[in-house]
Amino acid sequence: MPSKDRDAGGERERCITGIEGIDHILNGGIPRGNTVLVAGSVGTGKTSICIEFLVHGALEGENSLYLSVTEPTAKLLKNVIPFDFFDDRLTKQGRLRFVDLPHLYEKLGIDKAEFTFDEVKLLVDTIAGLVDEHEVRRFVLDSITSVNYRLKDPELIRDFLLRLETILSSKGCTSLLVSEMGSMGEALPRGGVEEAIADGVIVTGNLERRGDLLRTLQVVKMRGTSHSRAKYVLDLTTGGVLLVPLLKGGSVAGGA
Amino acid sequence: MTVATEISEKLLALPEASAVSLRLRTEQYFDAVQGMLDLFASKKDLDVIYITTTIPAQSIINALEVLEISMDRIWFVDCISQIMMSSAKRHPHVIAVESPTMLENIMLKVEYLMRKNPSRKDLVVLDSINSLAIHNNTKILSEFLHILVNNLRARGAYTVIFSMQEYESDDIRNMLVLVSDETTEIEE
Repeated sequence: MPSKDRDAGGERERCITGIEGIDHILNGGIPRGNTVLVAGSVGTGKTSICIEFLVHGALEGENSLYLSVTEPTAKLLKNVIPFDFFDDRLTKQGRLRFVDLPHLYEKLGIDKAEFTFDEVKLLVDTIAGLVDEHEVRRFVLDSITSVNYRLKDPELIRDFLLRLETILSSKGCTSLLVSEMGSMGEALPRGGVEEAIADGVIVTGNLERRGDLLRTLQVVKMRGTSHSRAKYVLDLTTGGVLLVPLLKGGSVAGGA
Repeated sequence: MTVATEISEKLLALPEASAVSLRLRTEQYFDAVQGMLDLFASKKDLDVIYITTTIPAQSIINALEVLEISMDRIWFVDCISQIMMSSAKRHPHVIAVESPTMLENIMLKVEYLMRKNPSRKDLVVLDSINSLAIHNNTKILSEFLHILVNNLRARGAYTVIFSMQEYESDDIRNMLVLVSDETTEIEE
């Protein structure tokens, strides 16, 4: 049955990430409205991917919002790759916004170690309010893991994610939720629920091959499109995130 | 005809986006570099991306200075300086790859440089297949060449792969036949 978000060919409308390699892997981009988990260990490029996704969106006229949990925006922007295509006017015009979640916690009076059900609902409603107020089409939460640490009950984690995903998707907002993994790519305590709920899962990692450490990316799941499930090697450059296929050559142990 | 001129003439006779294996003797090396970078690339108005896995980029740059070849349109992907723990000052036209075993990173750096200067066509020089073969097994090296050359061909770039005749093995010869449109030797 044709749906309002499908074109005449039955394909879902795409949110072109602007990261050529990822758009290629996804046959044209992320299906619009999908909530995608970007999961990986430290230093594997999750934040760079997310910021590039937002910058390209803003350049294309889509309002973009980055919700930072782990580090203050000022520090984040100081350390982020200076993309050649970044334009200061994007932030000045409000096309690209950075918000520190801890400030929101303070404003809402929920700056504490553990959230209740009502506080989770309040948080999701506040995020939804921001998305509405600024007509946000691309959204990043960096990271979902940090929020989950305040949700002691797994049921609350599930509830938070489901509410967030439903609200963002209903607004046609394409979202990336950053999820931290251990240094060997294992899920951290309290992790795991996200993968099941998200529409898509992109895993970034470190692959050690004969003493070399390669940054890798793999799309494990993406609802609404066929996609490559192969592993790619990525590079973080001022020209953006670049990807090439991981060479197998019979030399990669354990099929890693 | 000098080695440099001969190489340039041979390359000029090839169709665009050709992949060429250049079989050289050691004593022809710098003449070959001159023929490609000075004569051929200039005549065809090409940017040059020079992947060096044999000697540090700075050594080649020093030779280019002696030969009075401008560096304006030449960029290096240096796969050897880092592994030598060289403390030499980095030239602005040189990008380092940690090790010649990081073949994917070589492709990524080439991609980066091609995007950085998208307006002109490129000549990508791989110097050399023999030194890459020291660090990588035949399977992964064949896979690397296959992907690199096809990608460059699709983007209209020339590829020249150096092979030093003194160090060629059957494996290397077979690999070059597989990925190249043409194998060229210098007579002199």
